[in-house]
Amino acid sequence: MAIQFILCFNKQGVVRLVRWFEVCQTDTQKTQDMIVQIYRLISSRDHKHQSNFVEFSDSTKLVYKRYAGLYFVMGVDLQDEESIYLSHIHLFVEVLDAFFGNVCELDIVFNFYKAYMVMDEMFIGGEIQEISKDHLLERLSILDRLD
Amino acid sequence: MAGSSLRSFIKDVRSAKTVAEERAIITKASAKIRTKLRDDHLPQEKRRNNIQKLLYLYVLGEKTHFGQVECINLIASDDFADKRLGYLAATLLLDGTQDLLTLLTNLLNNDLSHPNRYVVSLALTTLGFLSSSELARDLYPDVENILNRSKDPFLVKKALQCVAKLILKDATLLEVFQPLYLVSLLQNRSICTHGVLLSITKVLQSILSSYPQYQNSIKQEDSTADVSGIVTELVPMMPELLTILQNLNTKNFEPEFDIQGTSDPFLQCELLCTLRMFFQVCTSISVSRIDQYVNKFGDLLTQIATNTDGSKNCGQAILYETVRTIFSLNMEQPLRVLGINILGKFLSGKDNNSKYVGLNTLLHVVPQEPAAVQRHRKFISRCLRDPDTSIRKRALELSFAILDEANIKELVEELIEFLKKASEDDKSLIVYTVENLVTAFNVNQSVDQNWKLETLVTVLKLVGPFITAEPVSDILISINNATDSRHRNEVVRDMLKISLDKSRQDEVTEDNVGWRIATIWCIGEYGGAVLQGGQDKVVSESSLSEYLVQQQKLCDKSENKILHYILTATLKLSTHINDPGCIEALRQIVVSHTKDADLMIQTKSVQYEVIFRQPSSVKKVICEAMPKFEKKVEPEVPKNLVTLSRTKSAQQEPPDVLDLLGDDAGTSSGPAKSADSQPQSSPADLLADIFGTDGNGIIDATSNKINAPQTLQIPPESVKVHESASVDCFVRLVSCSMGIAQLELYLKSKESIQNFQTFCAVPKTQKLTLSQIHPSNSLEAGQVARQNLKITGSGKLKLRIKLDFMRHGTNDNQQFDHKFDQTL
Repeated sequence: MAIQFILCFNKQGVVRLVRWFEVCQTDTQKTQDMIVQIYRLISSRDHKHQSNFVEFSDSTKLVYKRYAGLYFVMGVDLQDEESIYLSHIHLFVEVLDAFFGNVCELDIVFNFYKAYMVMDEMFIGGEIQEISKDHLLERLSILDRLD
Repeated sequence: MAGSSLRSFIKDVRSAKTVAEERAIITKASAKIRTKLRDDHLPQEKRRNNIQKLLYLYVLGEKTHFGQVECINLIASDDFADKRLGYLAATLLLDGTQDLLTLLTNLLNNDLSHPNRYVVSLALTTLGFLSSSELARDLYPDVENILNRSKDPFLVKKALQCVAKLILKDATLLEVFQPLYLVSLLQNRSICTHGVLLSITKVLQSILSSYPQYQNSIKQEDSTADVSGIVTELVPMMPELLTILQNLNTKNFEPEFDIQGTSDPFLQCELLCTLRMFFQVCTSISVSRIDQYVNKFGDLLTQIATNTDGSKNCGQAILYETVRTIFSLNMEQPLRVLGINILGKFLSGKDNNSKYVGLNTLLHVVPQEPAAVQRHRKFISRCLRDPDTSIRKRALELSFAILDEANIKELVEELIEFLKKASEDDKSLIVYTVENLVTAFNVNQSVDQNWKLETLVTVLKLVGPFITAEPVSDILISINNATDSRHRNEVVRDMLKISLDKSRQDEVTEDNVGWRIATIWCIGEYGGAVLQGGQDKVVSESSLSEYLVQQQKLCDKSENKILHYILTATLKLSTHINDPGCIEALRQIVVSHTKDADLMIQTKSVQYEVIFRQPSSVKKVICEAMPKFEKKVEPEVPKNLVTLSRTKSAQQEPPDVLDLLGDDAGTSSGPAKSADSQPQSSPADLLADIFGTDGNGIIDATSNKINAPQTLQIPPESVKVHESASVDCFVRLVSCSMGIAQLELYLKSKESIQNFQTFCAVPKTQKLTLSQIHPSNSLEAGQVARQNLKITGSGKLKLRIKLDFMRHGTNDNQQFDHKFDQTL
């Protein structure tokens, strides 16, 4: 009943953000292999004619969406509902967009730690904690100035 | 906080022209960071900088374990920027199993009571990530402390989310959790903001989902203990939650939470989910006060189902959650039908996401409302032609789930259309279709047998290139068991015409191995009968033997399986024809393999050669067409034993035939030695091979399928899992391998019951498919009903079953769990 991981990579499969919530893995190689598999699976799919949901393993299905050159992927439990997580992704991207001001891949590359900050204000332990964009942005701007 | 050196580091990595160059930069940086972090005299500013770089390496997928201790150091710092980076690094680099977590516990303990709310918030977020059960026990009091003292919604929200996580990690925390706190928080307008409300639902969900486990663990220690208090104390929240949900759905009062015209879909979904779990748990422990809310909830669900616009993703999410609730709580029939119709509407649209979700949900609810699902057959069939494989796959599963005697012909027509368009990529779907089709034909006995046979031949023609030997032998068994032999001979003649007529060669391609096998097998079995029906240009003694000769030439080393079929067909055909030239040609096929490198083939050829030399009266008896093949399932007996006993009894060959074979093998000299060494098994193997595959193949092909007897009996090997005054329940594990388990659930009623329904749940890692109840969902006393269950996934095999039925005009339900020894 929770998000297992959030992944963000570009069309070439270079990871831009990655956050594991449940499967905290020690084995770097295994995790990397999994990311490569996810990238292959998703990038091979037809974005006009196929759904945004795909089963990945016995315990995980992927909900994903592409925004410009970036894929945002969430791994969720098999019996979870896909549509609402798609809304989660969309909200996350909207907040990123508002926070960075017309966000592009480079913003996330150079300010990846800020993108994590946005993520952590929205999701805690794989559960969504705040939905209001205004609330989030207000909070984030305070946090951003706390250096 | 971005130091300029982080920026330039990222730029350096990005500017690398080749992969090798990039690797060199990364390796160098990684080594440098490692040395720097080891230096105890490194200024704090530099430490922070190095950790930032390390985190960038983490995102790129590099090894970062050497930075773990440094995270702890940063968290221990008094500087907020250090702390923040330290916590971020900790949530990314540490995992739940490390000893470092103990160090972290102390730091978290301090920071959770820190005067700065942002520090507390960081600590809460981190705890939410890294909660292990030790951490849960140690730090729960600190979190509770925040809840009791703080009036800050920002912290209360996060603390509640943490509580939810901690309870999931350690259910015994329910012992100390104060449910009344939640009740009063919900009333407290000044703290209970939107975010807090959301986290209240999360805490409720985690309490309700941990409750059964908690209850069990307490009951094990003290069977009389009653722990339902925690749930009953939460019941007063119910009316408030219902009102909130109702308001959300009727009034669009907060534009802030409006998404694409849907009012606050996130909260609506969470509330629905929470209420659903609430009712489920309350019913299972029979909290009496809950009854008054059921009707209200039903009305509310109807309202949501009618008012929500399903054309947008968010609306869909709410509708999905609504339907799921309707069926999990098994609400009244009109509501269930409404639910099915919503899903049906999902299928009729163009959006692939909604089709996917719709099909998935329909699959789960089919057993509860099969008739209503039937009405959307048109759209289900349309999904069979969808470009998305995952949608096609689900549409297929659903098609088989709704298949019954009334619609079998129309549905199969759709399936054949699907098979016509299927390609190499759909291999698994094709195999799935054929297997299920054969099963469906076996189960629906009363459907026109001749039509079934023709359909199977059509299917074989379409899918032969894609399927493996097992589905082919299933089809062969169906041909063999056909009751109307005259019709069967006609079907076979038509098949042969396609295979033998040179002008029709393009109808079946060379790579259609399935079709070739079937043709070869049919020539052996029914060649004689077909020839008796009259010879013509296409079908004649010489054309049949010529076909076998040709096929034998086509066979290369990799196609030994086909060679087995050819040898048997050759022997059998030879007894039905008179032309000496043809017989000699056939004998040459057998003779040419008596020195084959493959032992099985050699053995077989040598034995067949011996039979060839027998007088025709003897040969005819041995080579009679196969009798009806009875399928029996005996999974517990070792495989090779089953092969022997099964084939013998299935064949019902007179014992002297077997003796004859054995004697011959014993007395013949030369190459027959190999047969001599295993006189016991070879005759039986040989007969088994007539069926097409080796002995094991037959078991595989039959073990998943069960003939539907007219009156159901409970198989003796099934286990009784539940017993009550009105119904007994038995479970039989048919098979369990490769992540798939097939089960049969038998229900024996002790009195007359109606509207029987079963609800089954499996662990999170598994997926369950339920078939319809057979023969019906109303049972007289002493009658038995059966339901097939298919579980895919991994982990321990466990079932929770709830039985729902009408008894003397009143509803009754019973729930129980069963654990199997097997693991998927």
